Amino acid sequence: MNQAAENAGLAIGDSLADARAKAGMLQVGAEDSGAGDAALCRLALWATRYTPTASSWNEENGADGFFLDIEGAAHLFGGEESLMADLAGRLNRFELPARLAVADTPGMAWALSRFHAGSPFILPSGCEAAALARMPIAALRLSPETRTVLRRLGFKSVGALMDTPRAPLAARFAADLLKRLDQALGRVEEPLVPIVAPPVYHSVHYALEPIVTQQAIVARACRLMQNLTHVLVRDGVGARALKLSLYRVDGAVKTFGIGLTLPTRSVSHVARLIDLKLDALAAMQDTGFGFEAIGLAVTRAEPMSGRQTELHPSRAAEDDVEIECCAALIDSLQQRLGVHRVRKFKPVPSHSPERAETLPPIEDMAALAWPQPDRARPLFLLPHAEPTEVTALVPDGPPRRFSWRGVTYDIAGAQGPERIAAEWWLNHRQHCDLAPTRDYYLVEDGKGRRFWLYREGLYGRETAAARWFVHGLFA
Amino acid sequence: MAELRRLLPGPNSLHHGWHEKPLSFGLDALDSHLPEGGLACGALHEIVPATQAALPAAFGFLVALLARRSSPSLAAFAKSGADDIVHSFSLPPRVRKPVLFIVPAYGWSRCGHLPGRIFGHGLNSLGFDPSRAILVETAHRKETLWALVEALRSGTPRAVAGAIDRLDLKTSQKLHLAAMDAGLPLLLLRPSQTLESSAAATRWRVGTAPAARDRFGLYAHPRWRLQLERCRNGRPGEWVVEYDHVTHRFSLVAALADHSLSRGSGASSLKQAARS
Repeated sequence: MNQAAENAGLAIGDSLADARAKAGMLQVGAEDSGAGDAALCRLALWATRYTPTASSWNEENGADGFFLDIEGAAHLFGGEESLMADLAGRLNRFELPARLAVADTPGMAWALSRFHAGSPFILPSGCEAAALARMPIAALRLSPETRTVLRRLGFKSVGALMDTPRAPLAARFAADLLKRLDQALGRVEEPLVPIVAPPVYHSVHYALEPIVTQQAIVARACRLMQNLTHVLVRDGVGARALKLSLYRVDGAVKTFGIGLTLPTRSVSHVARLIDLKLDALAAMQDTGFGFEAIGLAVTRAEPMSGRQTELHPSRAAEDDVEIECCAALIDSLQQRLGVHRVRKFKPVPSHSPERAETLPPIEDMAALAWPQPDRARPLFLLPHAEPTEVTALVPDGPPRRFSWRGVTYDIAGAQGPERIAAEWWLNHRQHCDLAPTRDYYLVEDGKGRRFWLYREGLYGRETAAARWFVHGLFA
Repeated sequence: MAELRRLLPGPNSLHHGWHEKPLSFGLDALDSHLPEGGLACGALHEIVPATQAALPAAFGFLVALLARRSSPSLAAFAKSGADDIVHSFSLPPRVRKPVLFIVPAYGWSRCGHLPGRIFGHGLNSLGFDPSRAILVETAHRKETLWALVEALRSGTPRAVAGAIDRLDLKTSQKLHLAAMDAGLPLLLLRPSQTLESSAAATRWRVGTAPAARDRFGLYAHPRWRLQLERCRNGRPGEWVVEYDHVTHRFSLVAALADHSLSRGSGASSLKQAARS
């Protein structure tokens, strides 16, 4: 509810007729819960500028706010008070009247944000019981049924509940009553589910003035990476995946994931990758009024042995450098062109040509072992086998002439057939008929062009009229 | 004085002094024809199919060159015999440098698409180990050029191969210089209508030829009709070569081995063979 609605005396839970009676000019529209959730999620993402752990409230929390775990982050802003003041000030600027509270447990903070009069309120450590005792029962995040029963039994405040012996409560109510009470008092842990996976290492830079140019962002990110490098060296790890977050002045947050082929601590390499990524996404076209904060997080770290610099570089050290250079090249290509554009050939143990290999994006530097070539295979495989008209002397003999893509080829020589049958164990699982057996022929026309043709289906057993397809082209 | 003269760099060593030996074909007829005794390493080479239908043959020739380039011991063996082979086998195997294939995913504007996707098992049957290949797909020509230059600048790959449709003189000069700085061969597959001038060191036009068959009548080795169309500091030439994917060697098609070549334009290869 906004200020105008409060002035008019409206309350949450009013029926539409009552509300219309109180405020005549009321306009009614259908609720768009998706948009509300999305906006809340955006705001929670924005709030990761204060701490990496932001957790949206789920349905049982009322779904209209979020928790921030500021433990270990408050001192960066000069204490909890100034963090709160900063947060309140920024939210005010967005014209989002918010109720803020800091407490030792999520449950307590939730209760304070709802039922405490003062808005940015910080509960001193150890005062949970006293503060909670004065709160109404609703401050415990209970289900409506439990609340109703408690009201009928005469419990008005949490204090009354806390004075009652626990055993009858446990016997009378579902487990959530005591669980909620214990969570608010800190006797039971309440894990928060963060909206974005919490990074392993995290570093944020707050700009004095909004940043608008790409060079400035890269320079700031460079400095952040330098900060992270010290920690990475200390822990003996390197970054395998990074996340760059750009916090725009108007509250929007842009995040970019950067994957690396080998763990790295190199500042210049990361800076270059960020530059390429920003280039590729044309991220600088939508800067608005600029970015006020930049966060760089290591989302995946892997052990990385330190390399000894030697006066006489050995062969092994040279090889290491070479592998690193290679990984660096793959990284930059992947950042600029997209991860799925830089791929390697991976053999699959299958005789079916379509399944015999895959092209996965390169993720690490492990070399794949390819089998020795034993059969002639085409250099180009057509994405889909293309039907062709074939003349053959005998129905199950090699082709003599075929026409493909509007050209007729006279075949000077054919080699085959190489019979490749469908993999019954695959088709069996899908409960469909087996694909027909294929007889592959390598054919050559008079000019030396070589094609890979196949006849689908065995005569007499699988088909009455076999069809021919062109499947590949030889060098 | 002789000592000083020995220390002076040779006429060709201004750019190529620290570079590797040129990539030989293992075939005297071709190697002696080329000014550097083989394909220069730090240079741009264009490979053009004679007709659109010969595109697989042209790409096959390119893969054969890459296979030769990535098997140093065999190349050394073919080039200069025992000394090199002792040298290359006495050392532990080095890190296997990759070879980049930078191909457009968008098709060529003037000559249709690449006929299909590059098949790893096909590379394997031409003697090129697919585990060394890195396939880079680009969305437009600007990206292709960027990726080519990026790959060359890094200096990491063993060679860079690409396919590009249009290439003006200035861009080709840029690519050639990048290849020269890196000391890496850059092999570019071009559409068959390529006519504009470029800074490439060589331009090969590759046509199809009936393949060699072994004594059981099976297709053993591919053959290509090579036409050296342009060659900086050299003469054009024409040959019909056969490629052996096991030894990574090119050989001239023998005059008597295949009657099909004694017909028609095969005669020129005989002439070449006789001259060398």
